[in-house]
Amino acid sequence: MLLETRALTKRFGGLRAVNDFDICVAEGEIVGLIGPNGAGKSTVFNLITGVLPVTSGTITFQGKDITRRQPEQVAALGIGRTFQLNPLFHEFTVLENVTSSFQLHPYSSLFDIFFNTPKYRRNEAFIREKAYEILELVGLSKEADELAKNLAHGHQKMLGVARALATKPTLLLLDEPLAGMNPSEIQHSLDTIRGMRDNGITVLIVEHNMQILSLCDRVVVISFGEKICEGSPAEVRANSEVISAYFGADYVC
Amino acid sequence: MSEVTKISPAPEEAARIEEAPKTRPRRWPRLSMVGALAVVLALLPLGISGSYYMHVLILAFMYVVIASSWRAISISGQFNIAIGAFMGIGAYATAIPSVWLHWSPWVTIPLGAVAATIVGAALAFPFARLRTIYYAMGTLFLGYVVINLITAGGKTTGMSTGLGGVQPLFSDRTYYYYLTFGLMIVSMLCMYRFEFSRIGVRMKAVAQSHEVAASVGIGERRNRILAVAFGSFFAGLMGAVYCHYQGVASPSSYGLGATLWIIMYILVGGINSFWGPAIGVGILLIIPEFFFRDLKGDLPYVTAAMLLIIAFTMPEGIAGLVKLVRGRIFDRGRREEVRADASGD
Repeated sequence: MLLETRALTKRFGGLRAVNDFDICVAEGEIVGLIGPNGAGKSTVFNLITGVLPVTSGTITFQGKDITRRQPEQVAALGIGRTFQLNPLFHEFTVLENVTSSFQLHPYSSLFDIFFNTPKYRRNEAFIREKAYEILELVGLSKEADELAKNLAHGHQKMLGVARALATKPTLLLLDEPLAGMNPSEIQHSLDTIRGMRDNGITVLIVEHNMQILSLCDRVVVISFGEKICEGSPAEVRANSEVISAYFGADYVC
Repeated sequence: MSEVTKISPAPEEAARIEEAPKTRPRRWPRLSMVGALAVVLALLPLGISGSYYMHVLILAFMYVVIASSWRAISISGQFNIAIGAFMGIGAYATAIPSVWLHWSPWVTIPLGAVAATIVGAALAFPFARLRTIYYAMGTLFLGYVVINLITAGGKTTGMSTGLGGVQPLFSDRTYYYYLTFGLMIVSMLCMYRFEFSRIGVRMKAVAQSHEVAASVGIGERRNRILAVAFGSFFAGLMGAVYCHYQGVASPSSYGLGATLWIIMYILVGGINSFWGPAIGVGILLIIPEFFFRDLKGDLPYVTAAMLLIIAFTMPEGIAGLVKLVRGRIFDRGRREEVRADASGD
């Protein structure tokens, strides 16, 4: 297993935001984590990436225990992520957002950077080239010199993905990549995500837009912090518990 | 009348959006300007040797470095109100071995800079958890604590009257002029590399969003501590040189008043520009001392009025105005410049 959580629990005061939650993601999969608003989906992401401290339970990535790692350490291990809101460096240009996200591969030491060594200059030239490639991939190459804050919402989301790709992730966590997008942007996003998987990146997606189901190999449904169902998209669609979680218990009959 | 006022977007607004030239900017105009200024300053002692003007310029060179070191810390989003205390640590770390152990100033001055760096980094560690006003207030009181500890040092630190008899470096002021001038150039080169390289990109990323920065592997705490250590090295270095120049280490030179003036230089000069602190020192230190010495008591009022005018008319400070004018003359976009600088070559 690439990523595995066991009995993951997060309490905020008396509220169990995530309770005894198990999820595993195998290499090369696209896994969807869906559930109604407030179900604890984003909390799971924040626990995996070390943004929030775990109350109890364990998280392992590539066999390593990462339960208590800091966010930047988790990123260095190869877990990239996007954010639901505020996903950018707003004062940087689109290109700078991507080049600044290349911190890990290739890596320049403080010495190399400060003294502008040939190695650093080579790395920076390589990064610029790669950044343009990534922008091409997510369809933002025309906006490269715009300030990130001036981008339309859908484009900002795609830039968030571009930034995450710059960290060269093994596993990519996408937090509601479709929220606030129009239908053509949604189609483009779905194609991009599929393309990333074909390039060998494992993807875990949090979403409440059900259109994501078409993309996933496996879906985990979470409600009130607990896993209520897991299976193929078709199985999940047919599951009555899922329907009741989304639409209320009265809806099922 | 219930007529609705229509607010239509100005058509020229759209036209004003920068049309970015795709070529690399030419940087020789700025470099030649800086070079010319450096040559003038290097030759100036021939004309003003031994005069009060030379004293003012020596102070100005030191304050350019100190104000720039504050700005180097600030690009990571930290508004540190203890920069005077870092100067003070540098000053006392050189003054105490100089006065009591009679060590050579050439040994104790580097010692002062290193002490300020170490203390700065150590103190930055707990403060790296604080942001915005909490960080500012926390460091403000940190500055108080440092100065109070220094004055509580008994005979060793000379208490509140200061520690006199610090060995001078030279007997001739001209040598101080060239020393501080040279140190300023080297320090500014270091700070230029710091800001316009991947290190500066990391700092600016942390300042904009520590969460996003962490998600791409830029650790907030590590980079903020690095920024403070880097800045306090130069503040400590200049604090140490200042103390040998004056022949005395006195706590009043490193208190809150000193810090506030340093920050004022930066705000007037332009906090978003690398040259802002230098411009601010030129306007608030050199010009009043050269031309308006009789009005020195009124400087706080003039400065406050100036800051208001600048805030309303040029939000980027004087440096922003310079940038605007220069942009018109040389016809190039600000953003291209920033980008070329950030690419580090």
